[in-house]
Amino acid sequence: MKGKYYIQSAAAISPQESFSGPFVPQLLTLADKNLLRIKEPDYSGFIPPNNLRRMSRVLKMGLVAALQCLRNSEVSMPGAIITGTGKGSLQDTERFLKNITEYAETALNPTPFIQSTYNSVNGLIAVQQKCTQYNSTFVHRGFSFEHALLDSMMQIAEGNADVVLTGAFEEISDEHFYIKSRIGYWKKALTQPAELLTSRTPGTIAGEGSAFFMLGSKPGNHPLACIEGIKMVYKPTQEKLHAALETFLAQHEITPSDIDLLITGQNGDVNHDHYYHNLIVQYFPATTSLPFKTLCGEYDTASAFALWLATQVIKEQGLKKILIYNNFYGDQHTFLLLSNS
Amino acid sequence: MKPTTIMEALKLKLKQQIIEALNLQDTRPEDIDDNAALFGEGLGLDSIDSLELMVLLERQYKIKVEDPREGRKILQSVQSMAEFIQSKQPA
Amino acid sequence: MAERVFITGIGMISAIGNNVQENLRHLREQKSGLGYTRHIDTIHRDVLPVGEVAATTAELAAMAGIKELPGYTRTTLLGLVAIQEALRSAGIKDAKELPTAFINASTVGGMCDTEKVYFDILDPNKEGDFLNYIDTLDCADCTQRIADETGIDEYVTTISTACSSSANALMYGARLIQQGLVQRAVCGGTEALTRFTMNGFNSLKNIDKQFCRPFDQQRNGLNLGEGAAYVVLESESLVKERNAQILAELSGWCNTNEAFHPTAPSPEGDGAYEAMKKALKMSGRSTADVQYVNVHGTATLNNDVSEGIALERLFGSNVPKFSSTKPFTGHTLAAAGAIEAIFGVLAIREQLVFPNLHFSEKMEELHITPETQLLENYPVKNVISNSFGFGGNNASLVISKYEG
Repeated sequence: MKGKYYIQSAAAISPQESFSGPFVPQLLTLADKNLLRIKEPDYSGFIPPNNLRRMSRVLKMGLVAALQCLRNSEVSMPGAIITGTGKGSLQDTERFLKNITEYAETALNPTPFIQSTYNSVNGLIAVQQKCTQYNSTFVHRGFSFEHALLDSMMQIAEGNADVVLTGAFEEISDEHFYIKSRIGYWKKALTQPAELLTSRTPGTIAGEGSAFFMLGSKPGNHPLACIEGIKMVYKPTQEKLHAALETFLAQHEITPSDIDLLITGQNGDVNHDHYYHNLIVQYFPATTSLPFKTLCGEYDTASAFALWLATQVIKEQGLKKILIYNNFYGDQHTFLLLSNS
Repeated sequence: MKPTTIMEALKLKLKQQIIEALNLQDTRPEDIDDNAALFGEGLGLDSIDSLELMVLLERQYKIKVEDPREGRKILQSVQSMAEFIQSKQPA
Repeated sequence: MAERVFITGIGMISAIGNNVQENLRHLREQKSGLGYTRHIDTIHRDVLPVGEVAATTAELAAMAGIKELPGYTRTTLLGLVAIQEALRSAGIKDAKELPTAFINASTVGGMCDTEKVYFDILDPNKEGDFLNYIDTLDCADCTQRIADETGIDEYVTTISTACSSSANALMYGARLIQQGLVQRAVCGGTEALTRFTMNGFNSLKNIDKQFCRPFDQQRNGLNLGEGAAYVVLESESLVKERNAQILAELSGWCNTNEAFHPTAPSPEGDGAYEAMKKALKMSGRSTADVQYVNVHGTATLNNDVSEGIALERLFGSNVPKFSSTKPFTGHTLAAAGAIEAIFGVLAIREQLVFPNLHFSEKMEELHITPETQLLENYPVKNVISNSFGFGGNNASLVISKYEG
């Protein structure tokens, strides 16, 4: 997929103060759990009260990040709405599962079932914007947001859309945090984000967030950055991963030394950190790297936060090219190449 | 109690239950007119709310509404709901 | 010009058969697969009809060649049975021979198995095999297990747009091919019945206690079903290069959104109308070229009115033969789009129009009625296959006879 895909606007809800105002990254302090929660903005200015009353947490988080992204752009009617989410609305799924048991399958509230469907956020954005165009949701762990992005790029390349609203949303519930702790997703001892990368223990810290982007065939008035290409690699060996990187860079006629900043998904998990370590040692020994999961925690669509972070630093720091490399528990690996124009 | 008082008490209770079930923040029971349309222009409720109200009838009043077409008639207003509930209560 | 995309392999399992031939035979015999569940632990078991695959989960594992069961959900196993047939039918012995995409569709992932152990998982005092199912809760699990068993690894992802999920999977795979990212994509969806979805649709009061009656005045909702279906899509150049058998062409597609309401379509069927119209335009065919529409036809009150009006708007007084095959299979949610796309392929190859079972009375809102007879030797060249769902997600596919 060659071509230029301009990020005309962006918005993020995350554990950071990212939703409005200038962004200053902070290493947060965890109180009792290895879990970073989002800072909730005031949703009432975005959603009419009559719509807000029914919505569960991740629906609000997803919808409002999308609406803020639209506000930040000059676009009111995107040509497509494409999102990614690994888990959808955990809160609604859990609630419906419990209701089935608690009420013995009788007189069940339909709302949690409806909202547990993975495409419900997409549907809400479409209803609110009256957008009847292409609309899709990818639900594949560390390839959820990535395919939303690829699909968006294809919509533009096909000439079906000039601008696409694309993004991702993910929540972590206490219940799901516990469930995943049973199979080693999180570190056993309380580990602060500041110590995450030097902890040398298995697992990581959980996170959540929502980020949206207006992607266009043209720069628009204030382009934040430009997506040059994306490459996904599924369950690779280290050799295959490195070969994929070399091919990817060669396709874009650059070498590792052209990369000004490497944003990585390093998360301090000894089981998977070697992918990052070996890649850096072999290709980017002198390149500045910025590990983003100390800011947002680990979740299926954390890469959307990484892309948002890239849009914040690329102009501010006068960078020309950024490479994002992320993997989700060693299975889904992605390279994303960005330029400043 | 006189029948009219029973009916008034039922309607007030019903309004409180509707507000809670549908999470109608900033709405008080006295804001809901007995005869105002619950759906469309009135309270602005939709088809999902109507299902939620049928759950309310079933859980709180043990009345099962099977047919959505029948449901639409019963759920026109607080008045129609209350009348329906009363008609189903043992005399 | 983007490359043409051909269907070169099909595989499926549903309530009316464990493979394509069995499905075709039961369609011909007009034998519905609806009945009552034998596998789900629910109070609705004798009340709400379903289209259930007869095989037990252990039997499915045997069919799919899986020996160590823990971790393999019914969703995964249904998918494996169907994809193995699809690859065989395309004459692909080793899926690894070419960079291939696997685009899967799922609405609730491995819920069929996780719902049985969910409260054990939450109980810190319990340990056991059930811990193998923790990661099967999401939609990616079934996709990855199917990909890993077949060796597909170039693009691996899952789409979830409710009842239109696998129609969108076919569309996405076709577009990956047209963009030159792969030459081959295996696309479809898998869905196992669950207590979760049965209670979910029941809470929406749109499950009929009788066998579903699409496009009938007395219809009163859908019946859920389960199954899986995959098609092998290949670029024209690859088909020529390897001299592959072409079953049909995927000539057009369109995805639109109703932007109307979370669970209800617009009354005039705007989204359905646009989806069919644009898919047809893309295919280069006109309304007169369509001989058969496999409608979404869930038999819910709303869907059939909207879809019927959309058909009348698009085709005017010349609405082609149309039927819903959901009275055969039940509504298989994420698998429905792919199952019905394969029925579209069969309609073209066998020159058949399938009957809309259980129909007796015309809907008052419509002028049209579905085809109720099995039509043999019917000259089907172009089929529209519709899949519409929650969230206003609509998808239409055009499947065409290959004539060079």
